[in-house]
Amino acid sequence: MSVGVETSGLRKRLKANEALSGVTLSFEPGVLNGVIGPDGAGKTTLLRVLIGLLAPTEGTVAYSVDGRPAGFDAIRPGMAYMPQQPSLYPDLSVREHLEFFADLYRLPAAVYRERSEELLRVTRLERFQDRRAGRLSGGMYKKLGLMCALLQSPSLMLLDEPTNGVDPISRREFWELLGRVTARKVTVIISTAYMEEADRCARVHLLEAGKVLASGAPAELKRERGIKGFAELFLRLGGAA
Amino acid sequence: MNRTLLAFLRKELMQTLRDPRMRVILFIMPVVQMTVFGLALSTEVRDIRLRVLREPGDSAMARLEERFYASGWFVPAAGGGETDSDATLYAPPGGFRRAMERGEGDVQLIVDAVNAAKARAIEAYANAILAGFLRSGLGPGEPPPAIDLDVRVLYNPAMESAVFMVPGVMSMILCLVTIVLTSMSFAREREGGTFETIVSAPLHDWEIILGKTLPYILLGLVDAALVITAGVLLFSVPLRGPLWILALSAFVFIITTVSVGTLISTIADSQQQAMLGGFLFLFPAILMSGIMFPVENMPPAIAWVAHLDPLMYFVRLLRNVLLKGGDPWVVGSNLAVLAAMACGAAALAFKRFRQTLN
Repeated sequence: MSVGVETSGLRKRLKANEALSGVTLSFEPGVLNGVIGPDGAGKTTLLRVLIGLLAPTEGTVAYSVDGRPAGFDAIRPGMAYMPQQPSLYPDLSVREHLEFFADLYRLPAAVYRERSEELLRVTRLERFQDRRAGRLSGGMYKKLGLMCALLQSPSLMLLDEPTNGVDPISRREFWELLGRVTARKVTVIISTAYMEEADRCARVHLLEAGKVLASGAPAELKRERGIKGFAELFLRLGGAA
Repeated sequence: MNRTLLAFLRKELMQTLRDPRMRVILFIMPVVQMTVFGLALSTEVRDIRLRVLREPGDSAMARLEERFYASGWFVPAAGGGETDSDATLYAPPGGFRRAMERGEGDVQLIVDAVNAAKARAIEAYANAILAGFLRSGLGPGEPPPAIDLDVRVLYNPAMESAVFMVPGVMSMILCLVTIVLTSMSFAREREGGTFETIVSAPLHDWEIILGKTLPYILLGLVDAALVITAGVLLFSVPLRGPLWILALSAFVFIITTVSVGTLISTIADSQQQAMLGGFLFLFPAILMSGIMFPVENMPPAIAWVAHLDPLMYFVRLLRNVLLKGGDPWVVGSNLAVLAAMACGAAALAFKRFRQTLN
């Protein structure tokens, strides 16, 4: 199944600040959707609203499955979220994390065995399955977070700046892993502050100060605006402001 | 059992028991605290330094003095000065016997009341010794009074303060361990960033809350068994009530304190705040529980507040079950209040659980 997400006039006020100011977006089903923007653009707030952690102050979020409207409760079991900050237990091992999340998602034992073995092989963490999360390198840590999210074979994944603070080689491996996920028609919404990562997405949404600046395919957007990279666009808009 | 709850149970126990500091806090500290507090928290005053001023030939007064020392509470003051003693006993002018014959005269006791609690105890001991002395007659061959006061002390015949205090100390330790651990548990998830992962998983709120609290209810029950065993073995506290009532009381109380701990943790953003919140609850709860000071002696407004303290009900319950065998009305009414408090705190914690995210 292919999950689509559309937001309409989303506003979210967090204490004195308006983190989202009328965000209207359409996330394409079964592809990698990027939410690109500098720090403080509202990316994390947007993802938290989409996963249901925060209630919007105003506006709506509509979900669809294979083109037909679906309620949040219907798609929630197939949703996976990877927060920006460290979200694993430093005193539990890689294997213990997988077991814990498999139990949370109520995976049958055979399915768990098959998926965990595949994920450990693909992420090359097989040798480290007894190592505690607190002793993993930055890249391995992020891979483990992604593995926990992928364990339930989600149809909608929300990843909040997953490559933040990760070395270039681990980042490349991480994106390769995401490529495998989208090959299975999983809708992925990924936020990042690394502008060059936008090129890896099928569709990007540029966000700044809680507002959508532009949406579209990366190559198309660059051609339309006559820019080489998205950093240039943000700098130009920042200068104009 | 629900698989999610089992997953949480396994994870929490693994994390808690893997940490050597937590093992000490959970299994060693309660027994150490039980021993130390059990010995230290005593209303009994011993080795009271007594100075007696009497004429050398006053044999009745000398026998009264002997009675004071034989009681085990008083010892002769080493120096002769007022500052060397806690209390001074003055014989009536002309001697004790002559005063009795005259039908008038005072045995005066001057007490150092810098420590008011100690002074009150000295006064009570002295009255009891004097009453006993007068009842037994003034000397050999002299008849005791025709009507005697026959005092029988029930439930704690030796009137050992440990028998009264230790159940209070048990309650205090259980309250401390369960509140601190539970309040820290949620705060640790929030601080470590794992809270967001859990709440975004396709789980019901009740599964998360129950999953996070169930391990601490179990650990609290293990601690309850530990402190009660230590109290019975080390301080000879009688266990007169049925064991199942004791276990049920501990279970309901632990559910109440774990619910309060969870409520605190939904308010706190960090482990530091949770710890502070826990102690802000614990200090008044312990002071108003009746463990050390009777609630009946408190001003009405404070006594009213004390009735909101779950510890007060558990202390009453535990003392009643251990010492009196568990009166059905006392057990039932206190358990009902504790259960109501548990439901109230759990409902509030549940309500706040989602609010905190926004």
